[in-house]
Amino acid sequence: MSGKKRTIGRADLLRVFLRSLLIQASWSFEMMQSLGFAYAMLPVLAKLYPDREELERRLKAHQAYFNTQPYLSAFILGAAVRLEEERAQGMRSDDDVAGMKESLMAPLGALGDSLFWAGLKPLAASLAVFLFLTGSVWAPLVYLVLYNVFHLFIRVGVLFFGYDSAGDAVLFVAKYNFTSVARLFKAIALCFVGAIIGAAAVWRPEFRMGIGLSGAATAMGSLVIVLATIALMRRGASPLALMLALSALCIAAATIGVI
Amino acid sequence: MGVMTGQDYLFQVLFIAAVGGLIGLDRTAFGQFMISQPIVSGPLIGWLCGNVEAGLAIGAVLELLWVMDMPIGTFVPADSTIAAVWAAAASIIGAGVDPSASVMGFSILLTAGLAPVTMKADAVLRKRNARLAKYAAMDDGGGIARRLSNAHLSGLLFFFLRSFIIYIVFLPLGILAVSWFVGVPKALHSAMEWFLRLMLLVGLASAARRLTVSPLDPLILTGFVLSAVLSHVFGAHGLVIASIVIAAGWVEVRRRVR
Repeated sequence: MSGKKRTIGRADLLRVFLRSLLIQASWSFEMMQSLGFAYAMLPVLAKLYPDREELERRLKAHQAYFNTQPYLSAFILGAAVRLEEERAQGMRSDDDVAGMKESLMAPLGALGDSLFWAGLKPLAASLAVFLFLTGSVWAPLVYLVLYNVFHLFIRVGVLFFGYDSAGDAVLFVAKYNFTSVARLFKAIALCFVGAIIGAAAVWRPEFRMGIGLSGAATAMGSLVIVLATIALMRRGASPLALMLALSALCIAAATIGVI
Repeated sequence: MGVMTGQDYLFQVLFIAAVGGLIGLDRTAFGQFMISQPIVSGPLIGWLCGNVEAGLAIGAVLELLWVMDMPIGTFVPADSTIAAVWAAAASIIGAGVDPSASVMGFSILLTAGLAPVTMKADAVLRKRNARLAKYAAMDDGGGIARRLSNAHLSGLLFFFLRSFIIYIVFLPLGILAVSWFVGVPKALHSAMEWFLRLMLLVGLASAARRLTVSPLDPLILTGFVLSAVLSHVFGAHGLVIASIVIAAGWVEVRRRVR
């Protein structure tokens, strides 16, 4: 921003961040996060555009279709704040702002889904289930701390980075190596799936297979059941269908006295 | 604990519905801090109903079962939050604070009937929310900023009401079903005990299937062997095993990258 004064401060960005927590409050199939995006931008736009008509024009512009991963929407919001600041000073056009949003929302959606929903979430969940089954009732707390320390660090960080970089996707990819981190999270989550099965003989009593097998046999038996279930799922069995089939099987086995 | 009256049950149902509705906001409408995930919401409701561990056991099974169902694009997964809150509350209230493993298994089984209801309710709500965007865009002379805020924030209320109404309608049915189940023959209890144990394995399979293309992924086998040896042979503490498993996963990824 050569020669131009910055009008947006950290407090404004924090206000946008707090509002971004509500970006999906009115999520709809038709417009997805469009209202949420405009709502998050509102305090900054009100500051940048004292003229009411201009403010309303910009608010309407930000109500265009928008959808991305909710945490990484913070990067686009930060970038939009920066571009709006520059637009208010005559350095950017309307198309610059709209084009940035349109070009970033899909790739960031894919990156965020892979990192958070398919990486961090299963990692935190499998670790917590492992700790619970091996005797810790603090597992939910571990889940929340692990998940939120990482996610909030990224969520706040990308908002400020979006503002500083004006939405530069190349700088974003260079700074946040999300693909590698997601791969690591998925790998550790998979290890924990194996670890949960391996510890089958020391699970909490309500889950332990109490049929007089040795620890090794219990773990191996559990592994075989899991692998067989995966094979069934690959043939199209849904978790709900398996749930119903399993209950019928258990009831039949109990009725004839097998279990 | 004294005998509960109908009024007590009503109060509990309303209380759980309100808390469950608030927890449910975390799922989509506010924050996504994961308080809504079954492994957190289950024990939270368990704590409110007087049995954290029962809520945690139910939450752990449902967490594994639904953890990889992701809200991508227009796909709306089954609401695992409602399933966990409902199953935890129904089993603890219906069985009198200390539900057996069979009661927990039974309440998890009943969530299979709840899943399609939550998906349908979510789909209806998200379709109707399009009206909020239309309202925000209307020019009624009152100012677009005010209309935008009103329309957007009223979405919170609708998301809350969706969960609240489902709890109000279905939680009493769940409590009645669990109360009935407590008195069924022993064979059915035995069946549901096994169902609970095996559902955990189904949950693990459900998570593993989406995390890897190969069921015999070396990462699963690495975790399995490490955990089996450390827990059975050395009797290691869960935290020690967890630390070693994390290190093993990290080393394996580094090795694959090279």
